[in-house]
Amino acid sequence: MDTALLATKLLRPRLRPDVVPRTRLAEVLDRATQSPVTLVSAPAGFGKTTVVETWLRGIHRPVAWVSLDGSDRDLSRFLPYALTALEQVVPGSMSAALTLATSSREPVETVLTGVVNELSVYDGELTLALDDYHLADSPDVARAMTFLVDHLPPQLHLVLTTRADPALPLSRLRARGELAEIRAADLRFDTDEVAAYLNDLHDLGLPAHAVSALETRTEGWVAALQLAMLSLRERGDVSQFIDRFTGDDRFVVDYLADEVLGRQPDDVRRFLLDTSVLERLSAPLCEALIGEPGRAHTMLERLDRENLFLVRLDEHRRWYRYHHLFADVLRAHLHRERPSDVAELHRRASRWFAESGAVEDAVRHALAAGDSAQAADLVERALPDLQRTRREDVIRRWADALPGEVLGNRPVLALGLVGGLMASNDLAGVEDRLRQVEQMLARPEAELVVVDPAERRSVPARVELYRAGLAVAAGDSAAAISSAGRAIATAPPGDDLTVASASGLAGLAFWATGDILAAHESYVVCARGLEPAGYLTDVLGCSLTIADMELALGRLLDADRTLRGALDLARRHSGSGPTLRGTADMLVALSRTAWHRGDLPAAARLLREAEGLGESAGLPQNPYRWRVAMARLRAAERDWRAALELLDDAERVYVGDFAPPVHPIHATRARVLATSGDVAGARAWAREHGIGTSDELSYLHEYEHVTLARVLLAEHHATGAGRSLHEAAALLDRLLVAARAGARGGALIELEALRALAHHAAGAEKLALDALGHAVDLAEPQGWVRLFLDSGPGMGELLGALASRRSDPSFVQHLLARRAGDLLPARAATESVAALPDPLSDRELDVLRLLGSDLAGPAIARELFVSLNTVRTHTRHIYTKLGVTNRRAAVSRAHQLGLLTRGAGR
Amino acid sequence: MNTAHEPEWFEIRLQQHLDQRWASWFDGMTIEPQADGSTLLRGHVADQAALHGLLARLRDLGLPLVSVAAVPVPPPQAIKKGNQP
Repeated sequence: MDTALLATKLLRPRLRPDVVPRTRLAEVLDRATQSPVTLVSAPAGFGKTTVVETWLRGIHRPVAWVSLDGSDRDLSRFLPYALTALEQVVPGSMSAALTLATSSREPVETVLTGVVNELSVYDGELTLALDDYHLADSPDVARAMTFLVDHLPPQLHLVLTTRADPALPLSRLRARGELAEIRAADLRFDTDEVAAYLNDLHDLGLPAHAVSALETRTEGWVAALQLAMLSLRERGDVSQFIDRFTGDDRFVVDYLADEVLGRQPDDVRRFLLDTSVLERLSAPLCEALIGEPGRAHTMLERLDRENLFLVRLDEHRRWYRYHHLFADVLRAHLHRERPSDVAELHRRASRWFAESGAVEDAVRHALAAGDSAQAADLVERALPDLQRTRREDVIRRWADALPGEVLGNRPVLALGLVGGLMASNDLAGVEDRLRQVEQMLARPEAELVVVDPAERRSVPARVELYRAGLAVAAGDSAAAISSAGRAIATAPPGDDLTVASASGLAGLAFWATGDILAAHESYVVCARGLEPAGYLTDVLGCSLTIADMELALGRLLDADRTLRGALDLARRHSGSGPTLRGTADMLVALSRTAWHRGDLPAAARLLREAEGLGESAGLPQNPYRWRVAMARLRAAERDWRAALELLDDAERVYVGDFAPPVHPIHATRARVLATSGDVAGARAWAREHGIGTSDELSYLHEYEHVTLARVLLAEHHATGAGRSLHEAAALLDRLLVAARAGARGGALIELEALRALAHHAAGAEKLALDALGHAVDLAEPQGWVRLFLDSGPGMGELLGALASRRSDPSFVQHLLARRAGDLLPARAATESVAALPDPLSDRELDVLRLLGSDLAGPAIARELFVSLNTVRTHTRHIYTKLGVTNRRAAVSRAHQLGLLTRGAGR
Repeated sequence: MNTAHEPEWFEIRLQQHLDQRWASWFDGMTIEPQADGSTLLRGHVADQAALHGLLARLRDLGLPLVSVAAVPVPPPQAIKKGNQP
């Protein structure tokens, strides 16, 4: 996102000194101060923004301000602006929501639920002011805002200024008394206010009848009064002006603006008309339009000083805009008086913006100038950069704005727009566009327009790449694999990105079919191509998948190496700057390999380190992965309650991604239940998720089926039911065949260990030792330990028997020693609570536990029979004591310190 | 009602008199001052989206709107005026 633009959009408006105190509005504003939602709805020029800003300054409540514009109709722009504004007011509160809003495909309700839950325990009140809301009022934005309004936490006040009533449930809010409204009738200046404005503020010394005539004629419309004031300021013939004005029935703004314009010296008038084509003005830009060096700066200063409807956009007086109404009048004059100049002025503006790198503005002006070819050139040149910076939303908008005829012979441009559509998940019509591009390629090269020949060479490969993307979205793995293959084969040398993207799609498709070896190979190619192309966060995401597959293949050492390599890359590139997003995910994944090696202290250390990096260092999936990893540690410590709580918490913060969910949280939960002896609970899991012993087996559900075998073994152990044992053994045999066929070494170790237990339980000691011997053979070179520590009763006995049978029993003896050690209580994952200088009170612990739930502030208050204010105060104290700034971080910190389960055990 | 994409002729009545120079601003609509002090904006509107765009322009200018009506047959004088620059 353009940070400079962001800053001006989030800047609160600067008030001019000439503001009339609106005592008449005091009562309605008092009501608005208490009201959850305030709607300021009136036509342009009624002083909405001024009234709101004056009011909000007076009540001394933090304000998150967003000045909206037309591009904010796109939810993917609107939401980050609104969240960033809130984050500036309550630092730390929106970090999770911002991560979700900018880098995942979660529904907006998920993002906003987090926002609501966070603010609902905030200790204080704040206002979110959305200025010019009518510009952003699209169906998507309205859906998000309706959700927010329906779940508005009592701390948050919403203020909307708009020229048209928004598509929000206003009547419902009115009926509940939750809406304060300020409308045109309220904003109108009455006779006293007109007098105060013209005579007190601007010293015009008008007699009462003139004031009243102006009030009647302008109907108290502030913009018109301001124009009248400008016109009257330097003229002697006040009564003549008033007479003519009152007798005229012309559109009042038009009439007055005419008067004001007519009184300007020629050079000022010309400057105003020339620059009226601009949406924002700066001295260098104006200079490019008027073509006279050095004059624009003085002119802008003069207009600012004389209050000629110039609005400052930044603190440094670099950027301005005209008041909307005045700009419209100026443009109408320009179109009427000098219609032939309009295109040239836009063309100059386009050129200036293009040279200063503001391609969006350059394109807009080129289109306004009727220069679609120039606009097409600009867009085509900007595509690679916009793709790199993930501004697909911009590309998506251009796909609609550029006329079809300029695309007809521009294959690179047409294809670039397809990329924007695909990234926005707008897949309808993509295949047609791809076919059009292919038809272009069949034409003679001389008929085609191409800005960068290098981009042209990549077109055939990228057509296939997008086809592969379509196939993945449609779930057609075979088609995805063959299209991706063609993309890789036809990509020109040096086009790393196309090869990487196609490999990634092929990897995804292979993975879905269970061919992990092929998927692994594809992902490695993908990561290798993404790095030189600069997509580092994606390299990290890719590395996670690669390590996952290496674990499935039984290659624990490789997985470790992959993750360490990715972590090094992340650290190298972060340097002293902000931590690269995805770094925390590497640490969490490394804690899993450490756990597999049986190194619980290292696993705990890595999780602590990951948590310390903060939310912005993690991908959207990291919060749930961290909780699952922590749950495994707690389960290894036999703290079942903590493990289960963490897994429930993980479900709550779960965010999906492109990868198939091969380790669903619910199955991990069932494993904890089975190991802890809750066989009935584990059985209920299998029923609930429809997992049975006669299911067809596939890699995608392997983890669940192995879990079922564990549940059955636990059941046999608990009840002695022969049927459970028989079913488990049969399932394990089938799973073994499938895992061997897929070369999934990780699964083989686990399956052989479980088969050993099953044979042991059935009294077949020789078969048991054979199976276990095979498992140990596979595990030893890679250092797999955990699988032998977690496995159920009988494992110790079997390992003892195995040790005496092996020529080199050292690894088996190591496993035996670790098992013995594990029986002692060890809390590797728990930091000493003494690490907390100021321990939490019992009540704070109660609140903290509920912060980990789905409950919003008021519900927490009801649960604890306290007031919402008490909850807020406790929350503030909890944040301070734990050294965090938001709810999610407080809960992970608490899990780390082992605070939650200790409290629950009281 | 006509389908959303069928072009139509519209008459839009505004409360005040509007100067002729706004004609180009309103995409070639004719501007006809009426004896009662109102203004009739007449012209061809491509589709519903174009009509809403036009209404938004009027809204943004703060022009008080009196009525909007689809007219079945283009009035002859409107076509004639529409051809004037």
